Amino acid sequence: MATSLPSVAIPGQRLGSVAAYAAGPGTHIQQANIYASIAGPVVVDPAPPKTQSKSTLRVSRVIPAPSRGTLSGTSQKPRYNTLPAIDSIVLARVTRVQKRQATVSILVVLDESAANSDPSKSASDNDNVASILTSAANPENHSNTDELRFQALIRKEDVRAVEKDRVVMDEMFRVGDIVRGSVISLGDQSFYYLTTARNDLGVVMARSDAGNMMFPASWKEMRDPVTGVGEPRKVARPF
Amino acid sequence: MNDRRRVNGPPGGTRPPVFQSGLQSSNPSDRPRRQRQPAELRKIFLKTGLIPSASGSAYLEFEPSASLAANRSNPKSMIPPSSALKLTCTVHGPKPLPRSAAYSPNLVLTTHVKYAPFAARRRKGHVRDSSERDLGVHLETALRGAIIAERWPKSGLDITITILEAEDDRWWGEPPDSHDASWGIMNVLAGCITAASAAIADARIDCLDLVAGGVAAITEDVGASHSGSGRLMLDTDPAEHASILSACVVAYMPARDEITELWLKGDSSKAVLDDGDSRQGHDALIDGAVDAARGSYSVLSEAVKESILNAVAHA
Repeated sequence: MATSLPSVAIPGQRLGSVAAYAAGPGTHIQQANIYASIAGPVVVDPAPPKTQSKSTLRVSRVIPAPSRGTLSGTSQKPRYNTLPAIDSIVLARVTRVQKRQATVSILVVLDESAANSDPSKSASDNDNVASILTSAANPENHSNTDELRFQALIRKEDVRAVEKDRVVMDEMFRVGDIVRGSVISLGDQSFYYLTTARNDLGVVMARSDAGNMMFPASWKEMRDPVTGVGEPRKVARPF
Repeated sequence: MNDRRRVNGPPGGTRPPVFQSGLQSSNPSDRPRRQRQPAELRKIFLKTGLIPSASGSAYLEFEPSASLAANRSNPKSMIPPSSALKLTCTVHGPKPLPRSAAYSPNLVLTTHVKYAPFAARRRKGHVRDSSERDLGVHLETALRGAIIAERWPKSGLDITITILEAEDDRWWGEPPDSHDASWGIMNVLAGCITAASAAIADARIDCLDLVAGGVAAITEDVGASHSGSGRLMLDTDPAEHASILSACVVAYMPARDEITELWLKGDSSKAVLDDGDSRQGHDALIDGAVDAARGSYSVLSEAVKESILNAVAHA
């Protein structure tokens, strides 16, 4: 059963037997064989050592860059049609703040495979939030109205993990803020549900009343560098 | 229904007027003749990823028949003897469903097929007519069986096909009502299926397999030695045949050997097959259409592979 794997696959192409591999994303199983279901490079993720599991065969949606750029902020990989799933980390813009909930529209679903494999990089994506949002490679950027984006809710009790009953939504988010959140539910017909109840989740970019980009001052405050006025926010850990 | 908000072109044909004196070329001997073998397909041009704002797109073009090329080098009339299919397909999505839509755990597929006003000899309006809606439904059936819909919950996929040049339903030199059915639409559907499958692969939507469309027909040529008998032809150009008895389109997934869409029209009982071939007429017709689909699959798979190899090379 040592057939060599193709470097790229097209939908319907047989990749291997379920006896040899486990089926990963971008593949499906038909009659004990793994078939590609999207076109892309074939990737074998080796099984973790000292376990009985088989290595996972997947077809990547992302075209691998041949050489990593030295500037991590500029070398953005194109992302394809990532849907928010449970536990995926998303960047969203606040569109409405109400007493019990905030409505956001999801701009980008962050690539979780990259975040898992290299935690040092995921922690630093605060630096390249702007480049992620403006990157032309993001197909999400082509849909520039809220109608074309996935909508989500952050309920009052999902804003932070402690003192949930003392949360005042106006002091957590303002319209226009960019929030990093984690998906907790696919929700109903119209909304996903997000949580920011973690230290690394919350507001990552915000403008003050004066219109200046603010910097985080503490877990609950961001400050305007020009006027020096602080504003309350549920701030994401910046590093 | 007429669209009153736009300045529409004339409702009739847009080809140059043909005067009786110029029609001396329209005698039956000038009818374009099929110069391919019965099982030989026209060449197909297929390219993906031409529309940057869409998540996936494809352009498909059939090679013009040899009669068209001959007419260009030695024109007898201003009217080309036949037309060749040209169409574009765009895929938008997955995108959120409209607010009014109910929760769907699967991908919601919407297909739109629209002829450009100038695509056919008879001008089409801006509003989709019944044949265009019909094509959309056939296309949706063909693709629904191939897409793995449960991988894309709560999202919709819009597939829009614009036909820039459609196949003729008959040779233009014939009187308008000489054919009973619109055979050209079947070639158009086969092209739509192949192009849509390429565009979906370009958009990286999970599919069981690529779906290819193929057409076969049982034709009866005037002046053939054995009149009253039908011959099985693959990828027929309706302008090249005086009489098409029946035709069949399939959407076919070669890796699984499955048909997702089957459309058979006409009377297939008069098919005359080779000696020793004991198939029924419709069996032979469907097998022929599957063979044609296999032929277009070879183009389809190469086009998809080429686009992914290009993307890897430029990454």
